[in-house]
Amino acid sequence: MAKIFEVTIWATGVLQDMEGRHASLLIANAADKAGKFVQAWDNYADLPDRVNVPLRKYARISDEEIEMRYEYENEHPEMVIIMQDAIIKGMNVLWGMPKGGVLVINTKRSVDDILKFIPNKDLLSKIVTVDANSIAKVADIDFMGGEGGVEVVGIGAGPSAPLVGAACKVTDAFSLENVVAVAANKDGVKKGYEQAVVTNL
Amino acid sequence: MPKYTVKFKIPKHLQVPMGAVIPSPKTENEGMITGNWRIVRPVIDHEKCTTCLNCYIFCPDACWQLNEKTEKMEWNAKYCKGCRICINECPADALTAEEELNFPDGVVRLDVPF
Repeated sequence: MAKIFEVTIWATGVLQDMEGRHASLLIANAADKAGKFVQAWDNYADLPDRVNVPLRKYARISDEEIEMRYEYENEHPEMVIIMQDAIIKGMNVLWGMPKGGVLVINTKRSVDDILKFIPNKDLLSKIVTVDANSIAKVADIDFMGGEGGVEVVGIGAGPSAPLVGAACKVTDAFSLENVVAVAANKDGVKKGYEQAVVTNL
Repeated sequence: MPKYTVKFKIPKHLQVPMGAVIPSPKTENEGMITGNWRIVRPVIDHEKCTTCLNCYIFCPDACWQLNEKTEKMEWNAKYCKGCRICINECPADALTAEEELNFPDGVVRLDVPF
């Protein structure tokens, strides 16, 4: 079995449930466009979500067919995306990450402010900060529909678009062109890519 | 022999031990930590606070307690989930919401969300 690129997304319960799911769908759909095998789903144990509870959303990308369909948690995420910066204080967000992982975080703060709250930061090779809320002009979009529901505005209309755009800067598992092609807020993806600040640790 | 069996003259073959065993009441339940949900935290201005105990009554997690020695309200960072109810209910406007990441203290870090 080929190597599987795992992405874990942390979002705030209810308020960012849809945006977090859209971030995982954007990654999976963009990689799918490049002909890779993908999976994207919510963590079942975190649902039904309650307001403000940290939620996990997952995406997997592989060059060959993914056989671990029934392992329903990403145990070794190489990339962690955080939709709401206060989550780093409450959760061990780098749980299971192999050495040399990447953290993408939606924040207005500096990298030093963020690293103060990550005790196991030696696992990281790069950290990307981007102010996705300002780029998307909203922190969250109204919750509508459940998993598999009909998404009227398309995927990636809120802060998930600039965040995934910023993630394109540090990985080659999915490309910027493909994310722009599948996202509803195409301008937001490009702005996120341009405004992302990459820090090598 | 318990006192009540003597008092009510319960015959020996009808005496039964007390049934239920419950753990003694505690002020904290480690299995239900919600302090890691917090995005904003309530910050108290002790000069404005009148110790009316509205925050104590309205807090769903009993995070506000009156310290009777200092006569000041004390906040429990481990269980406060930042719901802002106390800030809404405070009649003296002594509570304000401030972003959690402005403070280095009050870290409650879990591996799996509750």
